[in-house]
Amino acid sequence: MALNLGTRTSPIPISGGVHVSHLGKSYGSNKVLSDVNLKMQEGEVVSIIGPSGAGKSTFLRCLNYLEVPTEGTITIGGARVCADDSRPDKASLDHLRKVTGMVFQSFNLFPHLTVMENITLPQRKVLRASKDRAEEVAQSLLKRVGLPEKAKEYPARLSGGQQQRIAIARALALSPSVMLFDEPTSALDPEIGLEVLAVMRDLADEGMTMLVVTHEMHFARDVSDRIMVMGNGGVLETGPSEQVMSDPSHERTRQFLKAVLDR
Amino acid sequence: MSAPGSFSKPSWIGSGTMILDIFLTVSKGIGLTLYITAASLFFGGIVGLFLAAGAQSRFALLRLAVAAYVNVVRVIPPITWLFLIYFGLPQFALKLSTLEAAIVGFSVIASAFMAEIYRSGLLSIPVGQREAAHALGMGQLTTARWVITPQAFRVALPAIATYAIGLLKDSALASTIGVHEITYFAQQSAKQLHQGLLSFALAGALYIILSLVIAVISRRIHVRLRQKTGVA
Amino acid sequence: MSFLNDWIAWLPQLGPGVAISLQLTGMALFFGFPFGLLLAAMAESRLATLRWISFLIVEVGRGLPALVLLYLLYFSLPDMGVILTSMTTAVIALSWNAGAYASEYFRAGLSAVPRGQKEAALTSGFSRWTGFRLVILPQALRISTPPLAGLAVLVFQGSALAFVIAVPELMSKAYEISSMTFRYLSVFSLTAIVYGLITWLFLALVKLLEVRLSRHLV
Repeated sequence: MALNLGTRTSPIPISGGVHVSHLGKSYGSNKVLSDVNLKMQEGEVVSIIGPSGAGKSTFLRCLNYLEVPTEGTITIGGARVCADDSRPDKASLDHLRKVTGMVFQSFNLFPHLTVMENITLPQRKVLRASKDRAEEVAQSLLKRVGLPEKAKEYPARLSGGQQQRIAIARALALSPSVMLFDEPTSALDPEIGLEVLAVMRDLADEGMTMLVVTHEMHFARDVSDRIMVMGNGGVLETGPSEQVMSDPSHERTRQFLKAVLDR
Repeated sequence: MSAPGSFSKPSWIGSGTMILDIFLTVSKGIGLTLYITAASLFFGGIVGLFLAAGAQSRFALLRLAVAAYVNVVRVIPPITWLFLIYFGLPQFALKLSTLEAAIVGFSVIASAFMAEIYRSGLLSIPVGQREAAHALGMGQLTTARWVITPQAFRVALPAIATYAIGLLKDSALASTIGVHEITYFAQQSAKQLHQGLLSFALAGALYIILSLVIAVISRRIHVRLRQKTGVA
Repeated sequence: MSFLNDWIAWLPQLGPGVAISLQLTGMALFFGFPFGLLLAAMAESRLATLRWISFLIVEVGRGLPALVLLYLLYFSLPDMGVILTSMTTAVIALSWNAGAYASEYFRAGLSAVPRGQKEAALTSGFSRWTGFRLVILPQALRISTPPLAGLAVLVFQGSALAFVIAVPELMSKAYEISSMTFRYLSVFSLTAIVYGLITWLFLALVKLLEVRLSRHLV
């Protein structure tokens, strides 16, 4: 296997983990995130759930600096960024983005490039990989997401589910130490979403560290090790999946779960 | 055969050889008409790229300067630009040939328009594209070069083609400073052969044909890109 | 500042030129816009002949460089026994050019009026013409106004072309001064500034108009 995915059984947290402490973000006096703490071991899968407007996506996007947090520190895969610095230096920002892979709700594949080029472009430009090497990696990733025959297609010719699987392959191509998923199935029909969830499940089984903002309660319960519940820009509770789903400690979590599970 | 016609005789009813004669004369200008158009589009296109980049800059002063340049260029009529450059610049010991002056003038004008075209092309690219590229670790320049520009170009292509046709027609103004392009030769034959209608009708036909050629080529490229990528 | 001295001396000479440029622009718009509306109406006609005539006039008016159109009329009308002043020739050429573009904007405006409006007009008992005049046209005009205002600015810039057939407008005056003083840079800079300022004023007015129009729409 060409990719360093770590293993689930690694006994001690090594540099592959995620450590976020006291993360906060505000626009002027408007605080959208406050005091978010999260420690993930390598290979762990954490789902973030909560009502819309809770700050789930904002939190996730802070982790690779698509949003600039205003306080706290982020440590991922050995890259450490303090939000107190007005702007992180280029080296640590580059490193942070290299060790995180992100999958967007709207896929964001590059429409002018073939599937193969979508996956090889970042490898070639960021990792400076050779064309052959990049294509080799891409081909094996395509096999992994179950779309080896689509290499020469353009994104617009693929279904939403296929596009999202390609987007996952593209993010994996940089061998990130953690994958960030921002509502990866929200733009898809439920049955199409299943094929994406299946790929994510495989990824989790292979030991990938994953942080997933999702509305899929089944996925959250069955696949993730822990669930973090957010509300109003803060963390309501974090705990083992089974426990959060069946016996949440926070009243607002209970209300939220009741609302979504009744649907 | 090129005997000057007279007012009493309706000279615009030319014989076949007369039409051919005029056509051959006027079409001598096709080369320079296309050359001015292509060169100005090329230089203007490159300068416009920098202007469009400047308009996106973090520095307010640079953005302001670009906006000022674009506006100043656009509020002055093209013919005034040509005269300013052809007659005015030699005062700075910058003596340009008529052709050079025309190309400089139209490049200046084209740069402002192309900058605007690029800008609206850029605006049409969803933010998600830039975000995805950044999330993949690609820097500003890499993102601009490999992700944003190719897409913006495709969006801008029809507008660029429309502008190229506009530029082709504007290039007729170069005749006023004596560049030997289509309109210049039409004027020559109108004066020498007293065949105003025929000369300029043929010149006009040439412009329309050349415009159509540009339109067809751009349409082809557009359709091919669309078929290839499957994007509307 | 010798520049400034020159300019102050020349401005009175350029003044009449500006007046002629504006007059030329005004006339071209006065004739060109209604002509454009007529062409647009012809293009929608049920008679194929009318549609063809409209098509030809529009394609020639838009497809030819304005300069070529101007020369075409200037050099060929006398041969056909039609003797006009330079000014009249310029008005015709610019009106034709403006009308051709305007017709496209009018057509776009007309086609942007929802079908339902036409049907509503017919079913409320209006005749075809009355319905068009009272219901369709006002809505179409509102949509066409911003591009037409932009066109007016271009027509003003285009009026500088009349210089080539010796209409004594701004550009001609400037050329006249420059060929007497040989101060080309100075003269044409001033001319550019005058054109620029007037155009800029036009554009500001257009913007104001657009704001007011969109306020009506909301």
